[in-house]
Amino acid sequence: MNMETTIIIGGGHAGGEAALSLRQGGYAGRIVLICEEHGLPYQRPPLSKAFLLAPEPEASLIRPAANFSKADIEIASGIGVQTIDRQARSVTLSDGSRLSWDHLIIATGSRPRQLALPDPITAQPTNLHYLRNLTDAQRLKGALQPDKKLLIIGGGYIGLEVASAAQSLGLQVTIIEAQERILSRVTAPEVSAFYQQVHQAAGIQMLTGVQITTVNFSSDGTAIRSVTLQNGDELPTDVVLAGIGAIPETGLAESAGLEVDNGILVNEFCQTSDPAIYAIGDCSNHPSKAYQRRIRLESVPNAVEQARVAAQSINGSPKPYESIPWFWSDQYDLKLQMVGLSQGYDQVVIRGNPEERSFAAFYFANDKLIAADCVSRPSEFGMIRKLVQAGTTASSAAALANIDVALKDLL
Amino acid sequence: MKKWQCFFCAFIYDESLGLPDEGIAPGTPWEEVPEDWSCPECGAAKEDFAMVEMD
Repeated sequence: MNMETTIIIGGGHAGGEAALSLRQGGYAGRIVLICEEHGLPYQRPPLSKAFLLAPEPEASLIRPAANFSKADIEIASGIGVQTIDRQARSVTLSDGSRLSWDHLIIATGSRPRQLALPDPITAQPTNLHYLRNLTDAQRLKGALQPDKKLLIIGGGYIGLEVASAAQSLGLQVTIIEAQERILSRVTAPEVSAFYQQVHQAAGIQMLTGVQITTVNFSSDGTAIRSVTLQNGDELPTDVVLAGIGAIPETGLAESAGLEVDNGILVNEFCQTSDPAIYAIGDCSNHPSKAYQRRIRLESVPNAVEQARVAAQSINGSPKPYESIPWFWSDQYDLKLQMVGLSQGYDQVVIRGNPEERSFAAFYFANDKLIAADCVSRPSEFGMIRKLVQAGTTASSAAALANIDVALKDLL
Repeated sequence: MKKWQCFFCAFIYDESLGLPDEGIAPGTPWEEVPEDWSCPECGAAKEDFAMVEMD
């Protein structure tokens, strides 16, 4: 019998879910999940939060091992893919072997953007960290020792979450952000200001609108000793974390001649320019019906939902990906939950009181609710997602701002 | 008693334990968890949970 094969490249949230979802949807063929890192897909969000605080941290699996074995999913662990051959419909693996496929799912994720260092450098500084995978987190965890100076470059989620953890571990933390405010790509000034104040109140030094002009090395050249800023200030440091964005892993796709432009271009069914090849999660760039433009998202919900979309297409019951993006971030005792993309908003309405550390910000554009940030109001977030999904009109703005009005009455 | 897992962050709702912090008593079956309840970990909706068999 000639059995069909689907190969999934990448064992993150997207890859793992695609494998299970394919089988759940009735796929009868062979499913091979290629995980370049050792082991089964694990939870990445805790790596910048609980993992750093745990006395003996362990990676937690996204799904128990039994789920994969029961679903008869072959796991190729610790093996990378070197090339995709579209003519022969095969991949070449790092151990030299070849595997044929009928459908291929690329779920290669993204990698941290590297800090620009003076050229030429012989080796990566020993105290420079990035945070993407379990190995990074284990290394960073080892470096977060009490009383050390931690310099965080970049005031995005990774930087702020690690700052929160490091502060409670007793480090002296400084965050430098090139933009005028933290979280500037993802939230409104009101929410940025709130988080800036929270971090400062916790004892973190926060410098915004600053550029690094020089990275100064230790005398033996192996570690970063300090950085000099545009205004001439020098910040000494023991540990450096760069959280300055992520770059989609598109190398394999590009070499195979697939269309790539800030991510592997896919249609609403997560199909690339080769319809037998799908791309899902951080590495893919999809058309958003809600925002009328192409977007690339770095989030667990996007990874998991796109995995399901690709699996449904392969199983012959295609459904377009039309979800409104949503995200979450834990800092200190605060839970930040976001839905929608707020870029281009022309009106913002606040529900609750930032001073009580519990509020929501609603963003409108052209009289339509396009996004919301929700700080420590988890019981309302489900309803807020529905309101954004429904494109609630600005006529509800006054009611949204009134905490005595139940959100479900506005739907 | 069953367990239900969040589709996104893998948080587990265990019917035998409930979520006393949120006023959901131990032994509360999934059907009786309020429809507007959301995942305490990531904020996913109740409909984003699936029943799981745990080892």
